[in-house]
Amino acid sequence: MSGADHALRRVSAVRGVRGAMLVSAPDGLVISESSMEDVDGRAIAALAASLAGRLRRAAASAGLGRPTVIQLRGETGTLLAVPAGDELLVVAVGDRETNLGLARLELLEAARGIA
Amino acid sequence: MSLVNFTAREITCKIVYYGPGRSGKTTNLQYVFGRVPETRRGRMVSLATHGDRTLFFDFLPIELGSISGFTTRFQLYTVPGQSYYNATRKLVLQGADGVVFVADSQARRFDDNIESLQNLQENLLEQGVDVRQMPIVFQYNKQDLPRDLVLAREDLDDALNFRGVESFPADALHGSGVFETLKGISELVLRKLAVGGPAA
Amino acid sequence: MRVLESWVSGPLSRFLDESAARLVLLMTSSGQVVAQHGFTRSVDVMSAAALGAGIMASTGELAHLMGSPRFGALVHQGTEQGLMLSGFETPRGRWIGLVAFGPESSVGIVQLFFQQFTDEIAAAAPPEEPRGPVLAENFEHELNASLRALFGR
Repeated sequence: MSGADHALRRVSAVRGVRGAMLVSAPDGLVISESSMEDVDGRAIAALAASLAGRLRRAAASAGLGRPTVIQLRGETGTLLAVPAGDELLVVAVGDRETNLGLARLELLEAARGIA
Repeated sequence: MSLVNFTAREITCKIVYYGPGRSGKTTNLQYVFGRVPETRRGRMVSLATHGDRTLFFDFLPIELGSISGFTTRFQLYTVPGQSYYNATRKLVLQGADGVVFVADSQARRFDDNIESLQNLQENLLEQGVDVRQMPIVFQYNKQDLPRDLVLAREDLDDALNFRGVESFPADALHGSGVFETLKGISELVLRKLAVGGPAA
Repeated sequence: MRVLESWVSGPLSRFLDESAARLVLLMTSSGQVVAQHGFTRSVDVMSAAALGAGIMASTGELAHLMGSPRFGALVHQGTEQGLMLSGFETPRGRWIGLVAFGPESSVGIVQLFFQQFTDEIAAAAPPEEPRGPVLAENFEHELNASLRALFGR
């Protein structure tokens, strides 16, 4: 198992996380994924990469530097994305019960290991 | 198959120049390209090898003008003539509305013409098209060469033109017969779209 | 945007809005243009369609020769612009989409919304009506005049 797969499995193991994946940021394509249950990984990869690109420009315009964590809370769950260098994005999708603090830590750890 | 846009009143037809290698198919398109005003034609796309032999196809779109109130466009394609390019020839032939068979009039190329015509029939049949239903005209190219090297139009008609369709002697390099050939196939293809016209 | 048949407009507009594509060209598998957005010269559109259909036809044959199923999509990623070429089935036969996109979009976004677009097209296509006569019976006169004008004769 590659380092990326191992890191994704650690993210997926967090309570409430339904799946995690490594995404090519410029292309919005899935590179690797772990237990994406009942979620369309391809769509999430494309849209999360697009969102991250826009937020990066927004953050730069606001003088905030580069985004380090992107957290999108919906009515029934949360999407987390952490850039790993310029080219990659580690993304996790969790339900309302997700331990968000731990999930963020695992994502940051994964991004450090991959970048 | 020709596309007709009733809203914008446009017709687009696909014409394929077929025939053995070096019979002058690309030369026909080059002559048309050189003569037609820039506003009425697109770029000539040539997918050729370094030796200038057609590798995949040549392509030239031209705008004929308004016919029965329809802006009429023709897409002219050539196929590679060499026998080993049959796979690509079949691809170019897909959806053709009409065929110009460019034969090489030289006596020594007689068999190549026959072989290419048989190949055309086979490839059309493979696509479920009966060659008798396909608008086709013949062009006997290189008629400018010395008389003892080339066959006369009548001899070529006897050998190739079994349907008795229109045939045109030509010297495509200098443009003789090119216009007449295009006019001949245009009429046949458009007649299919006309009121009460026969199939071909 | 120009479409051959009006029912293509809705799905194509939605695809353009969602994908932020720069150029879109829809063609039949024999290279006839069905719809386009973003091109300026109709003759360039035809060249692009001829080349796109040629690429799809040849890669399809290549896949067949190699014993593979037909390629779903071909993507060319340039530095300024990416291109995606993808074939799909419609009730009107097999069509091909050629999409050019810049850094404001991505391969993932284009592929995602192109899939939705092809689903919508397949659902929206009305049955093809048999084609009646199109041109007037005496079109030859106009054809001759057009050709003479074209060749300067």
